[in-house]
Amino acid sequence: MFRIRFHGRGGQGMKTASRILGTAFFLEGYEVQDAPRYGAERRGAPIFAYIRADRKPINERGIIAGPDLVVVADDSLVPLPAAGVLQGIREPTVILLKSCESGATWRQRLNIKNPIVTLPETGEAEDSAELRYIGAACAGAAAGVLGIISRESLAQAIQEELGRLGEAVLAKNRANALASFDAIKKSAAVNVTEGGSIPAQPYKRPAWIDLPFEDARISAPVIHAGLTSVEVRTGLWRTMAPVIDYSLCRGCWWVCSTFCPDGVISVRDNQPVIDYDHCKGCLVCVAQCPSHAIAAVPEKEEQARKKAVAGEAS
Amino acid sequence: MAGKTIRRLQELPSTHLLGTGTPMCAGCGGLEILHEIYDILGPKTVFTNAAGCMSLLSVYPYTPFRGSWLYTAMASAPAAAQGIRDALDILLEKKRIPPGDDLQVITLTGDGSAYGMGLSATSAAMDRNLDFIYLCYDNEGYGNTGQQYSSATPHAALTATSRTSHGYPGYKKDLFSIWAAHRPAYVATVIGAEPLDLAQKVEALQELQGPRLLIGLAPCPTGWGFDPSLTVKIGRLAVETGIWPLKEYRDDRTVHTRIVRHRKPVEEYLQLQDRFRHLFEPERNNREIALIQARIDQYWSKAIDADT
Ligand SMILES: Cc1ncc(C[n+]2csc(CCOP(=O)(O)OP(=O)(O)O)c2C)c(N)n1
Ligand code: SF4
Ligand code: SF4
Ligand code: SF4
Ligand SMILES: [Mg+2]
Repeated sequence: MFRIRFHGRGGQGMKTASRILGTAFFLEGYEVQDAPRYGAERRGAPIFAYIRADRKPINERGIIAGPDLVVVADDSLVPLPAAGVLQGIREPTVILLKSCESGATWRQRLNIKNPIVTLPETGEAEDSAELRYIGAACAGAAAGVLGIISRESLAQAIQEELGRLGEAVLAKNRANALASFDAIKKSAAVNVTEGGSIPAQPYKRPAWIDLPFEDARISAPVIHAGLTSVEVRTGLWRTMAPVIDYSLCRGCWWVCSTFCPDGVISVRDNQPVIDYDHCKGCLVCVAQCPSHAIAAVPEKEEQARKKAVAGEAS
Repeated sequence: MAGKTIRRLQELPSTHLLGTGTPMCAGCGGLEILHEIYDILGPKTVFTNAAGCMSLLSVYPYTPFRGSWLYTAMASAPAAAQGIRDALDILLEKKRIPPGDDLQVITLTGDGSAYGMGLSATSAAMDRNLDFIYLCYDNEGYGNTGQQYSSATPHAALTATSRTSHGYPGYKKDLFSIWAAHRPAYVATVIGAEPLDLAQKVEALQELQGPRLLIGLAPCPTGWGFDPSLTVKIGRLAVETGIWPLKEYRDDRTVHTRIVRHRKPVEEYLQLQDRFRHLFEPERNNREIALIQARIDQYWSKAIDADT
């Protein structure tokens, strides 16, 4: 059985990717399970999707703990514990990463021996209109490393999954998917090996803690303090960062502060200040500032810059 | 903030009361409305929230609110508001809380609740002249479950429930008129992209008692298919094209609070959203675009007559 796990951020089309790949498997005659998993998280937050594919009926259920292939749409997710990209990987697990750095660099950085195949980034982070095509590209690349999916089945699967979006969107997705399929076929000398079946006998029950049935006054999830949401660092969702150039800011009527949907820009000492722990990087402020005083900078560059400044200071 | 009158954009609050770190999408137009409104209503508030995107605001143990919040089923948020109002009134009457500790009761729901499942409970609350504020953030679909159509979905919008690429065949329900027909204390439409209009309406309704209801158009990058940075631009275009009229009802009269003299063609609004892309690609559907435009023009020719 093939067990595949997709990782991305909401809005990067990982749900679509898993649907495309699942349908492609199906067209190749496989039994398929395909499920996205997302909860309260939204666009920008880490999400997962799973596929199981087998020639035989699939009895396994639930999340995939030991994947044979992990597909990651955004390499900024790899170091995020919340994303759990490396969770449950085994020695032969293949990792397919959308990144401009090489597989060797990532192997060294993560200190793992797994085969890592990278699919170059093509500027999606900078041009968010391109974001929605990442899914199809990842599905194409995954089909490529799997080796058992034909180009025809891939194209057919994209037609079935995205046909209703109209010819222009369909054509662009198909072109992206087939291009990454071909690129991976040409370059990658890795193969994904199917994991064996997992017998039920040795399954150990998790160490459940039994909770007694309590009165609602005790067991209801009551929050006893206000404003606790600030503990959630939604700044991790950001792929682009808004940066204010104070020499250009004219301290208008604080357009940025009013329009920021998350209310993370406040005015201190007559200057707008962005709370980067919580800014989600929607860039509404960049689009609205009448003085064009806010620039959109790739988060990676901004982090490198902050690190450098911190280094100088110490 | 209550008590202070906001007349100019410069007077809008620039520090915010709603907590950060919420799970709403980046660029959520609904969250923008809520944070703008919350700044004016202040912390002496208690929310009843029907299932929808915003019921994820308070997921144990996190909440962005400074006061209490209660989760309800999709159809029953106004009924929960009644219970809370009654409880507060009893506490006040028995002098178990001082008048200064009274709270404003606010019902917060999406359009799926407001236009559909919860309409009956809202109607009944108005019949009982419940003293509460209702905020519907209208993202024109069942956003939380993947943008299936609701009765707030506009004509031709593609939703997760569309079987064909032509989008929703029906027309958006006129909830403003349905609500106003109950003759409550106050009904208004708002949008986050017009914060001054919004602030003035929220201040106005705070002076009143009884049912006070707001419908805020909530541009939804995820459900409508546009880049999150465009939330305000799309909101403003909704007003400038006339597809989202800003108006208020009180004392038996509806008045438009913003009349756009030279309305922009509606396609400027439609074009920016994936849900309407099929109207422009692979070829332009002139007939449908003209139909949508004609309905807007018809609305405004009637509205301007009625206002004057
Ligand atoms: C009676 C009932 N039916 C279905 C659901 C599942 N459900 C949860 S949120 C939601 C969508 C609500 O749509 P809307 O009120 O417009 O809010 P939005 O999600 O768009 O914010 C649905 C259908 C539910 N919670 N209760
Ligand atoms: S909108 Fe621009 S000019 Fe106005 S306060 Fe913000 S950064 Fe400064
Ligand atoms: S990008 Fe700007 S508008 Fe968006 S969350 Fe960050 S500060 Fe707010
Ligand atoms: S789906 Fe739309 S309404 Fe819901 S949180 Fe996301 S942007 Fe906001
Ligand atoms: Mg909705």
